[in-house]
Amino acid sequence: MKAGLLQASIKNRGLILDPRTKFLLMLTMSIFVLGGAGGKTAGRWMPVFCAIPAIALLSAKKFKRAAGYLLLYCLADASVFFISGRVHGFIYFLIMGICGILLRFLPCLMMGAYLVSTTTVSEFTAAMLRMHISEKIIIPLSVMFRFFPTVLDEFKSINTAMKMRGIRFGGVGIAKMIEYRIVPLMTCCVKIGEELSAAALTRGLGGDVKRTNICKIGFHVQDHIVIALCLVPYVLPAVQFFGLAV
Amino acid sequence: MKQETKLKGKDLINVGIYAAIYCVVVMLAAMLGYIPIMLPLLVVICPLIGSIPMMLFMTKVKKFGMVTLMGTIIGLFLWITGMGYWPFIFGVVCGFAADLLDKSGNYQSAAKTVIGNGILHLTIFANMIPLYIDREGYFSTRQEFGQEYITSLTNIMQPWTAPVLLIASVACGMIGALIGQKLLKKHFAKAGIV
Repeated sequence: MKAGLLQASIKNRGLILDPRTKFLLMLTMSIFVLGGAGGKTAGRWMPVFCAIPAIALLSAKKFKRAAGYLLLYCLADASVFFISGRVHGFIYFLIMGICGILLRFLPCLMMGAYLVSTTTVSEFTAAMLRMHISEKIIIPLSVMFRFFPTVLDEFKSINTAMKMRGIRFGGVGIAKMIEYRIVPLMTCCVKIGEELSAAALTRGLGGDVKRTNICKIGFHVQDHIVIALCLVPYVLPAVQFFGLAV
Repeated sequence: MKQETKLKGKDLINVGIYAAIYCVVVMLAAMLGYIPIMLPLLVVICPLIGSIPMMLFMTKVKKFGMVTLMGTIIGLFLWITGMGYWPFIFGVVCGFAADLLDKSGNYQSAAKTVIGNGILHLTIFANMIPLYIDREGYFSTRQEFGQEYITSLTNIMQPWTAPVLLIASVACGMIGALIGQKLLKKHFAKAGIV
């Protein structure tokens, strides 16, 4: 089976980070890169955080995605830099809008792609268990991640079948096109889901006893480095604040 | 017969399965968002299409907590795929609100399910919040790009578009729910899935 978009592969992971480190990195990026918190002091560190997804993707041997990300990011950044003050009017607004949105959303999206494509379901579950998150959230989440590749696989087959019958964009209208894809997708996914849930129940998922997990997760040198880096934008404004106060 | 109120393993697995279907459908629709100007339009498209699996999910819901969990899971998914933490907060809160509303109709009332679905789809709107919130703070880090850059971004994401998008997401959630219920009657009732 080919590795899908949301399917984690254990091979080719390169730099192994603890899932909890990845969560922290994701949280930090969504606060500071996407949310733009921290003002100027933390803002200076942002290029570092924007580079992390690229390094992480490279270490996971996702060269194409890393290169695409770097190219797009640099292009957006460069065009903001060069165009400002030279082009005016509507085109300027259009380019600036596109670049502004890209610069904010792209790093987080790439981090998400890295997180999802390098964390296996059992690592994920183990990390959630260590963080003492309720089973009520862990079970649906792990089922969801287990189920993603199946749904995508089914969608691909249905898409091919519908294309063969000429049900595509421009052929029968967009409403029919969507209906003829979503309805079969849902029908077969529900059937597969029922079987999956029977299989999972037989293996004791959702029982009264605590489940064990043999997956080994823990913090290593690389985790400590990344965590230290993540703390910088939180600490820096505080240090500056107290420095000014004293 | 006394109805069981505690969530069992099967319910939790059901939430996971429908969340997976929902997320895949929404993700495929969201591919359009790669064209950044289309980004605000996603608030219309995602609720319209995502409501169809959601309606099928609602036929399985009999206990309090499942809709809340659904909102939480979708929010978490959006968070870890890089849409920021706002969808998560909205997912928990709106999921809970929708759950309360659906429960008042005993998970049978069609009208209440439609409205609840509209509320739940505020989560999609929450993806856009970073573009509106803390504009001053964000732009202060970008001074070097010049004043024109700041005014141009401010022009594209006018504050008044926020309530418009918010209402659009709720309205499309409701319209999508109506479409979903129609599809359920047309296809799934016949196939014996509902």
